[in-house]
Amino acid sequence: MSLWKLAMLIALFNVMTFGNGPVMIPLLQTHLVERSGVLTEDQLLYAFTIARVTPGQANFYVASIGYMLYGIPGAIVATLAIVLPGYIMIPLMHGYEHLRESLWIKGFTKGLTVASVGLILAAVVQIARGTLTQPIAWIILVATLIMTQLFRWNVLVTLASASCLGLLLKWLL
Amino acid sequence: MFSIFLKAGLAFGGGLGILAVLEQELVDQRRAVTREEFLGAYGIGRIVPSGTMTALAIAYGYKFGGLSGTVIALTALSLPVFVLTIALTIAYHYLRNSRVFDLFPITILPAALALIIVAALKLGKDVFRPSRELIVAGVAFALALFFRFNPALILLAGGVVGVFVFQKVKEGNDTAEKDSGK
Repeated sequence: MSLWKLAMLIALFNVMTFGNGPVMIPLLQTHLVERSGVLTEDQLLYAFTIARVTPGQANFYVASIGYMLYGIPGAIVATLAIVLPGYIMIPLMHGYEHLRESLWIKGFTKGLTVASVGLILAAVVQIARGTLTQPIAWIILVATLIMTQLFRWNVLVTLASASCLGLLLKWLL
Repeated sequence: MFSIFLKAGLAFGGGLGILAVLEQELVDQRRAVTREEFLGAYGIGRIVPSGTMTALAIAYGYKFGGLSGTVIALTALSLPVFVLTIALTIAYHYLRNSRVFDLFPITILPAALALIIVAALKLGKDVFRPSRELIVAGVAFALALFFRFNPALILLAGGVVGVFVFQKVKEGNDTAEKDSGK
């Protein structure tokens, strides 16, 4: 895959998902991991983890993917592919009342978001097949869900605790 | 302006964290923008490719400084996340050749997978109860996983279905959001 093609793919996914970081995961998983094989599942997961522990925009993990494939130029190109389509904001600001009232757009974004929930979970199953090969990994997955959903811990604390738990289990078993 | 957006770019918690900083700076402290206008811009930003916060940086960079203003606002907003992302990716390359890497499959990687599930849960609060949303999400799930359809096509199809199915539903939600916002 050339740098140009990567940039085009990311720009396309960006436009399709309105720049939503998590929604891009199934698209990246299908095209970069499964079909072209330039990225591993581990790399995609690591990149997504970065997005969760850094401040700022949540879709900038594509810079990490760009870096993994092409170094600094890849990171810059991937970032530009995300940012530049955002300039459509300037003309939109002038006609926004009209746009906000548009039920078509509301319905479209709602349908897209709902479908994306199914797609993300499908991607999770795909990735899990390759990643969760050890029983401890399953325990960590469940533990992380409990920490974030039940205990409401923040991401950094959760990741640190989950990792410690993984190491502890490995050492005990 | 650089300092406002740099401050926003240092905010944790993704979109909402940044939004809170921008709202406080632009609306409450500097009174550069009315709250109504800010919320309006936020509404449009949600459907702009690049993400809502990048879109807001472009909108207000342009408003207060023209095209060069957009470059300043974008650079300030994106600098912290870009630098940190690259640093952590370089760390990955170093770890790859070390023993620590063997521990990833039982530490960071399953935790990251769980965080993706959490992201999906947040996107679809209506999805996980008997509803039309559940059906659309379920069909998308099955088409992607079992029938290997291209997810890009499924997303578009979901949008088209949404135009016919969700127009009124969304309107109800929106008024609720606006009320809670005030």
